Amino acid sequence: MTSMTTVEIGAIERELRQLWSESAEKAPDGQAVIRALTLNLIACTHDAAHADRMTDAIQQLTASHPSRAILALLQPDAPEPRLDGFVQANCLLSRRGTPQVCGEQITLDARGSAVQQVASLILALLVPDLPVVLWLSHPDPFADPLLTRLRSVVDRVIVNSQAFAHPTKELVHMAELERAVSSGGLALHTFAISDLTWASLTAWRELTAQFFDTRPLLPHLRRIDHVTITYQAPGGANNPVAGLLFAGWLASSLAWVPLEDAVSIEAAQIRFHLRRPAVGVGPDAIRLVTIDLCPVEAAIGVTPGMLALHLEALDGVTASFRVDRTETPGYALTTATIAGMEPISRLARCEEPGLADLLAAELRLRHRDQTFSDALRVAGLLAARLRWDM
Amino acid sequence: MSDLPNPLRHGLRIGRTPEPCTVVIFGASGDLTSRKLVPALYNLAHERRLPGGFSVVGFARRPWDDAQFRQVLLDGVNANSRSGAVEAELWASFADGIHYQPGSFDDPSAYALLAARLTELDLRRGTGGNRVFYLATPPEAYPEIIRQLGAHGLHQSPHGGWTRIIIEKPFGRDLASAQALNQQVLAVFAEPQVYRIDHYLGKETVQNIMVFRFANGIFEPLWDRRSVDHVQITVAENLGVEDRGGYYDHSGALRDMIQNHLMQLLALVAMEPPVSYDADAVRDEKVKVLRAIRRIRPEEVATYTVRGQYDAGSLSGRPLPGYRDERGVDPASQTETYVGLKLFVENWRWAGVPFYLRSGKALPRRVSEIAIQFKTVPTMLFAETPMHDIEPNVLAIKIQPDEGITLKFGSKVPGQPQIRPVTMDFRYGTSFGVASPEAYERLLLDCMLGDSTLFTRRDEVEASWSLITPIHQGWLASPAQPFPNYEAGSWGPTSADEFMARDGRTWRRL
Repeated sequence: MTSMTTVEIGAIERELRQLWSESAEKAPDGQAVIRALTLNLIACTHDAAHADRMTDAIQQLTASHPSRAILALLQPDAPEPRLDGFVQANCLLSRRGTPQVCGEQITLDARGSAVQQVASLILALLVPDLPVVLWLSHPDPFADPLLTRLRSVVDRVIVNSQAFAHPTKELVHMAELERAVSSGGLALHTFAISDLTWASLTAWRELTAQFFDTRPLLPHLRRIDHVTITYQAPGGANNPVAGLLFAGWLASSLAWVPLEDAVSIEAAQIRFHLRRPAVGVGPDAIRLVTIDLCPVEAAIGVTPGMLALHLEALDGVTASFRVDRTETPGYALTTATIAGMEPISRLARCEEPGLADLLAAELRLRHRDQTFSDALRVAGLLAARLRWDM
Repeated sequence: MSDLPNPLRHGLRIGRTPEPCTVVIFGASGDLTSRKLVPALYNLAHERRLPGGFSVVGFARRPWDDAQFRQVLLDGVNANSRSGAVEAELWASFADGIHYQPGSFDDPSAYALLAARLTELDLRRGTGGNRVFYLATPPEAYPEIIRQLGAHGLHQSPHGGWTRIIIEKPFGRDLASAQALNQQVLAVFAEPQVYRIDHYLGKETVQNIMVFRFANGIFEPLWDRRSVDHVQITVAENLGVEDRGGYYDHSGALRDMIQNHLMQLLALVAMEPPVSYDADAVRDEKVKVLRAIRRIRPEEVATYTVRGQYDAGSLSGRPLPGYRDERGVDPASQTETYVGLKLFVENWRWAGVPFYLRSGKALPRRVSEIAIQFKTVPTMLFAETPMHDIEPNVLAIKIQPDEGITLKFGSKVPGQPQIRPVTMDFRYGTSFGVASPEAYERLLLDCMLGDSTLFTRRDEVEASWSLITPIHQGWLASPAQPFPNYEAGSWGPTSADEFMARDGRTWRRL
């Protein structure tokens, strides 16, 4: 790592060239160093401790997404204006004789009024002709002036909705923003939105979908009447974002429509009422679906996430589909029970993904994730019915 | 059932899971089962690619019970799974669906017991009559197993399920035997039920050949006789015949490797773009290539082929006995352990471009690659300068051990009037940061999903044998060869180098 106290673009570029030159010289005989850049990743935080976690994640990403990473640590409330820059190469350990793949990271540490200079520095440091991803880790990301300054060049904005300061309010805002950018209503250049909380639901969505890859079980999916989603979240009942997104995914995939004002809250449990097409009773017939969100307060040190999912079809043949996180971490038990048949269950791996895994999953997307957009739209509608933080 | 409209599938990044089914492995006590098949199935379970209710039934002569069979498989998975040591909880759930049915392949009562067990699994584990029969036995057993399956009605599924059969190589030992086996198979099963496996087609890089060619605009315009000088396809093994001497001595490199793996690679490299990425469209194009290859007549083998047999030597610092000293091998064997071929694909695209194929045992390195060597540029521009020594561009598709693609081109050396070849190197391992699935994982999953794109169709197998059989006949009619003629640990006989030198070319140094 090399540090500079005066941040000039030319100096940073010179430092980077020197860094690469030194890396190549230090490489063992016969071992090449490959500078591989697949994207510009701008990671922004207001918290020094979180900056370290972001750096760790960026380094782990080198395997799948070597990038020019620009980590901006912004501390606008610091009394003295100051701007420092550092450069470093993030290299994978390689087997002897194989090339070493490296990405590069520029850290900008801005304090006080110097924070305002950061956007212009970032714009000058972007590698041309590569996608630009802005990862905003702080609790109020859509109000960040950096997003305003960079929105014309950013292709994707990554946030973590579970860490929002006002989760349901911000979720509604994110849904509105997503709808606006996806319709091109905000500007000529629009960006896609990614949510790490949504990414953390992928394994659970897969396990749920897999029940219905089986031809005999698929008809039951159209007859689901009741859903129970149990999840662990920081803030417990006050932070239903993961549950809302999962409910939003089910509802948008299955054409369930939230009913106006049909929400009830009892103890910590939130119940939504929706309608779905009734099966086999004419084109206009509808049937009610209930979705219960059952939050559990996440203890300190425990990774938030899904704990259990239960889908029930009571209309006609009774069918039940359960996914339960097991006591042994990293696994889930899936069970399909259809009236008159033996229950079918299996244990499946369901590891809690780390920050780098979640980030990698979202960086793999090259375009807007329509499934997320649809799920977010319904999650936003459900969140709005809660009228919390509004 | 590829059109199953599961609305929850939209936007998920891994493909759908197959329907619950039972994989019945004939020859389940053999090496292939514990070394490749069950580790592949376990890895699929590890990656959440298998459905609840998925079951395995092993069928073999040994008098094991379920518990013994599970223990053998557990040892095999621990030793051979790419996902590392078995996770106890996951194995317990996976092993719950593993069963063993002892029986001889020609014993009707064993098939009756098998049928009863499959019915019981359908009820208890919800496998719905869906079955894959995997023939992991010596090929001599194939006809009897197929006949017995038919006789016991196991070629069709009850409850509207599906039944498929996977047949391991070798599929025949010449054209006549391949045709006879096809007739035996198709007397019981319909062609869409038959999955002839060539595990090379399950390798990521092999699958990537089509993506590389047909999803990139820059290569296909160069992919013909106007730009390509020649193509070299190499599959080198750094092992002797080990404990397969008895089998290998009746097979040889031509029938063991060229007929299947190398001909498949050639077909993928040379074929025209298929009209769609479905099984029959892809296989139609591969068959066209095989049919366009000029037959080598028996009297032409000295011109278009070269063969060798390894002598004692050393491999990776360890001594290796000569082929004729291996267990199960005839001490006067004339079986080839090395083959080089020159083939021509006589169609508009490839007329006049030689395809050199080589495969051998006891070579210095285990390596498989396809190299497209482009024509050398006219050098007038640099002819009178120190930069006249220009090497041709080579595009190498590496299949193993490090899957990837390299492109060699000339670049000026900074500060010197000199051109040096440099290589652009793409490696799966470092570019995607994820381990590629094993070939058997992909192929087993495809079969369960009903996708036969990466399996060989009847006409492909027969077209390939129709090329190979005359060569073998020509060799049989030729004088005895001065075998052994290359030292184990070398790159083959000197006659192989002379074979290339006659065309003014050399084998690639790998």
